[in-house]
Amino acid sequence: MRGRLTASTGWAIAALVALLAPLLLNERQMFVLMSIVILAVFATSYNVLLGYTGMVSFAHAAYYGIGAYAVTLAWVHLGWSPLAGFLLAPVAAGAIGYVTGLVALRATRLYFSLLTLAIGQLLFLVAFQWRGLTRGDDGIFGMQLPLFLEPATNRYYFLLVLAAIALAILSVAMRSPFGATLRAIRENRDRAGFLGIKVKRYELAAFTLGTAFAGWAGGMYAFFDRGSFPLLLDWTTSADPIFTTLIGGLNSFAGPVIGAVVLGLLQDFVTRNFLYFNVVLGTVLLAIILFMPGGIVEGAHRLAAAGGSRRRRTHPEQPADREQPAAAGTRSKS
Amino acid sequence: MTVEALVLQVMTGLSRAAVLFIVASGLSLVFGAMRIVNIAHGSFYMVGAFVAVTVAGWLGGVIGFVGALLVVPLVVAALGGLIEVGALRRLYGKEHLLQLLATFAFLLIVSDVVRFIYGERPQSLRAPPLLSGATRFGDVFFPRYSLFLMAAAVVIGLSLWLLLSRTGLGRDIRAAVSDPEMLGMVGVNVSRLFTVVFALGAGLAGLGGVLAGPQTTILLGMDIDIIVESFAVVIIGGLGSLVGTAVGAVLVGVTFALGITFIPSAALAIVFVVMVAVLVWRPYGLFGIPQEA
Repeated sequence: MRGRLTASTGWAIAALVALLAPLLLNERQMFVLMSIVILAVFATSYNVLLGYTGMVSFAHAAYYGIGAYAVTLAWVHLGWSPLAGFLLAPVAAGAIGYVTGLVALRATRLYFSLLTLAIGQLLFLVAFQWRGLTRGDDGIFGMQLPLFLEPATNRYYFLLVLAAIALAILSVAMRSPFGATLRAIRENRDRAGFLGIKVKRYELAAFTLGTAFAGWAGGMYAFFDRGSFPLLLDWTTSADPIFTTLIGGLNSFAGPVIGAVVLGLLQDFVTRNFLYFNVVLGTVLLAIILFMPGGIVEGAHRLAAAGGSRRRRTHPEQPADREQPAAAGTRSKS
Repeated sequence: MTVEALVLQVMTGLSRAAVLFIVASGLSLVFGAMRIVNIAHGSFYMVGAFVAVTVAGWLGGVIGFVGALLVVPLVVAALGGLIEVGALRRLYGKEHLLQLLATFAFLLIVSDVVRFIYGERPQSLRAPPLLSGATRFGDVFFPRYSLFLMAAAVVIGLSLWLLLSRTGLGRDIRAAVSDPEMLGMVGVNVSRLFTVVFALGAGLAGLGGVLAGPQTTILLGMDIDIIVESFAVVIIGGLGSLVGTAVGAVLVGVTFALGITFIPSAALAIVFVVMVAVLVWRPYGLFGIPQEA
């Protein structure tokens, strides 16, 4: 009960900070904040696959890019207002996610991941090469926004509302029996199957939900950047939500959001002072992987546990029977 | 299109396939024995190419390229060994995702270190005169360097096969492919074996980088390009299978070269379509063995 209480206090504080932030920030900082808000939704949508269902997809950025292109293409080719185009973003991404998910889920685990790599790159190449539709490498820029979204502050609040809606929907979904079933699949895929759960069907549902909200985040990006470009779909962009989630923590709903704040601020700070962001990011990731694999959320839990009563040194959210195949021979030696 | 031009395109494809085979066999070896999907594998290839430029520059002339060919794979193998001992070793027995992400972290770190040392400017590596130009068979001219690459791939493929099938190290590696836990129980030092395998895989990628040097522009980003192609190769062939890697490399190399000739804008897309088709038809690749991974 206490955990639930601190969590809702945390969300309340986060909401308050997010609402009041524009009072203190300049325009450049507002754009950093917008990118954080978008990354938070993108990473949370990915965590439906990664943290909740245990699927590693290299294609997630493709659906993010599809979301962004849904808005810009509807504007270029159909003359739609971006606001109307935004409604297309999760629908297009989710629909393509469903179809490609059907194909990718023919395989499991590693081979699923590699299949998503191929599918994602295929979608990337469509955006990259189909110049007639997407203008290829040039991307689409300079999208006309509705007048009320011109000032940075208004655009920020607009994106914040979209993010809040997405997070609320995903939070409800992940707390529902559906979310519990996904977690059961993550913990033990075979056992979930024995219980009569139609594993593939749930995995496809999770994949579709995750990709739809990746499209939602991509639609937000189109407002942020007033455009879209092929690199949004590239597999290297799929690394962003993975890194974000890893930094924040895989095993909680708040993890990706916290990760987005930390990564966004880190990136802004480093790139303004230092030419080499990748080496910093790589080092931070390596440190987290080696010393704090549960990310900031679990690190904070551990810190709180160590500071308070030293009762049990367990990791309640990482059950012992979490699948650990392969390379088991070295376990005793390490 | 004339027959000569077609032959030339196939030759281009096969010489790309030769490099892909050498690089991807390392990726496949590491996956087979250690179950690690090494995203940093392309970084070893890139480091190999860049360090070759430096070494060839120091030595100069014909000796330069030959010297790079001999020295660079060892340097890159040492780098691989260092990464395995320093970081990956601590992650065995943990979730695969963490190992994969650790190699991703190294991809980021290595790319910036290379950028720091060599800058953004593209580099080039020159093949010795003996290997430049073309040799004539009948009416068709074959680029000599392409023939050299193919010969190199065959030699390395045979050496790897001999290593795996005829030596004690090869026996241990094959045992690790089927059951690492058991291997530890019968008294093999699995931890040292993994270091050797990872270094060997890195060395192969480094060698691929040196060999590809004279035929490509050496620049930042080549790590990402090769890793995606190498994944396509090992997925089509089947992870952990040497024969599969060879077949996959030829398929990807030639498909891409012919694709470039006939439908340039869709060449890479065709490779991915082949990859998806193979995986849907045979989820473990053409020569792969179904396994829990």
